[in-house]
Amino acid sequence: MSRTVPAEPGPLASLALMLYPPAWRERYGDEVRALLEEAGSGPATVASLAVRAVPAWVNPPRHLHDRESRMRASVGTVLVAWSVLTGVGAVFVQLTQLQGFRAPGHPLVQWCYLVFDAALAASVLTAAAGGVPLWLQMIRLARQQRRRRELAWLWTAVLVPAGYLALALIALTVVHDPEASGSWWFAGFAILGFGAAGLASAGPAVALKRLAPGGPAVAVAAAAAGLAAATVALAGLASAIAAAGLCLWTTSFAGYHHADLAWVYLLIVAAIAATATISAGRGVRATFAIPAR
Amino acid sequence: MANRLDRWADPPLLVLASLADEPKHGYAIIRDVSETMGVRLTAGTLYAVIARLEAVGLIEPLASADRRRPYQITAAGRAALAEQSARMGQVASLAQARLGDGYGWAGA
Repeated sequence: MSRTVPAEPGPLASLALMLYPPAWRERYGDEVRALLEEAGSGPATVASLAVRAVPAWVNPPRHLHDRESRMRASVGTVLVAWSVLTGVGAVFVQLTQLQGFRAPGHPLVQWCYLVFDAALAASVLTAAAGGVPLWLQMIRLARQQRRRRELAWLWTAVLVPAGYLALALIALTVVHDPEASGSWWFAGFAILGFGAAGLASAGPAVALKRLAPGGPAVAVAAAAAGLAAATVALAGLASAIAAAGLCLWTTSFAGYHHADLAWVYLLIVAAIAATATISAGRGVRATFAIPAR
Repeated sequence: MANRLDRWADPPLLVLASLADEPKHGYAIIRDVSETMGVRLTAGTLYAVIARLEAVGLIEPLASADRRRPYQITAAGRAALAEQSARMGQVASLAQARLGDGYGWAGA
């Protein structure tokens, strides 16, 4: 049964080990490799390792659960997903409410507009309340540690949206031609807006990973991220129902927009909202978890 | 044997029982469980169990010069093992008594 010459774990066993969370691999990875060298790594072992990786992610052992790291990761993920969802929401507003599309005789669309507005406003306020204190803490930290790159990443959250708005304002002032500011202009500014939102949110997310701040501000931000993700997901759901309602009941909207676009919109919203909600859920769980012994 | 029930054996209990006499590393636990209890633990199952038992403080790692880190049972682990063994002993006694009295389909 015992082997005189230890054999390296096979590639499949090494691959199965890579399925485990980083904290798990750091703690047990070498031991498992040593075990596989002695005991061998047949198909049953590989299958067992792969299957057991799932609970290691879903319900990690408490002593391996790095709460603050989990909270920071959730805050960063939710920030980026939330920014994109808010951008998608702004496009929805421009294409529906601001164009005056209504569905007479179908109050559902109007109710969805109201829910969307309220949920998005609540989400923005929550994100600001949870995010600004953490952002200020990171600014202080970066200054104290003289981390110029991280400081630059942090300022993207302010400078990039400001630059985008200034550019939009200048373009609208210079062009000032309703015929020229048609769908191509809108598409261009929408794409540019998504880029700006992505960069503005990715900057603080990168700084969060590098500076690794701790303390109550991270916990507050993680809890706020959970609430912001839930409310923005609600806004996304309301906008999806409204878009479907407009496609069904408003001829002018259905004629103006392809129904396929509503499905693409729905899929994008669902995928990003799911990412934000799952990550936010893990962050909130870490926030309220009892610290490891 | 086709009807063996060891596939439903409780791996945490097997690992605690294996560590009850002396500290062992992963491979030694697998060998001990296989030789003395007739159950083959896989690496995935063993380290899932080790991680859980360590998390709740029933076993603890010992310092090791090489990668094969040994584990020892803690006082809480001994208490948990004793409690569970007593319960299993009751079940075993009951099962043997009833089998001996002709319980089951044959005696019904």
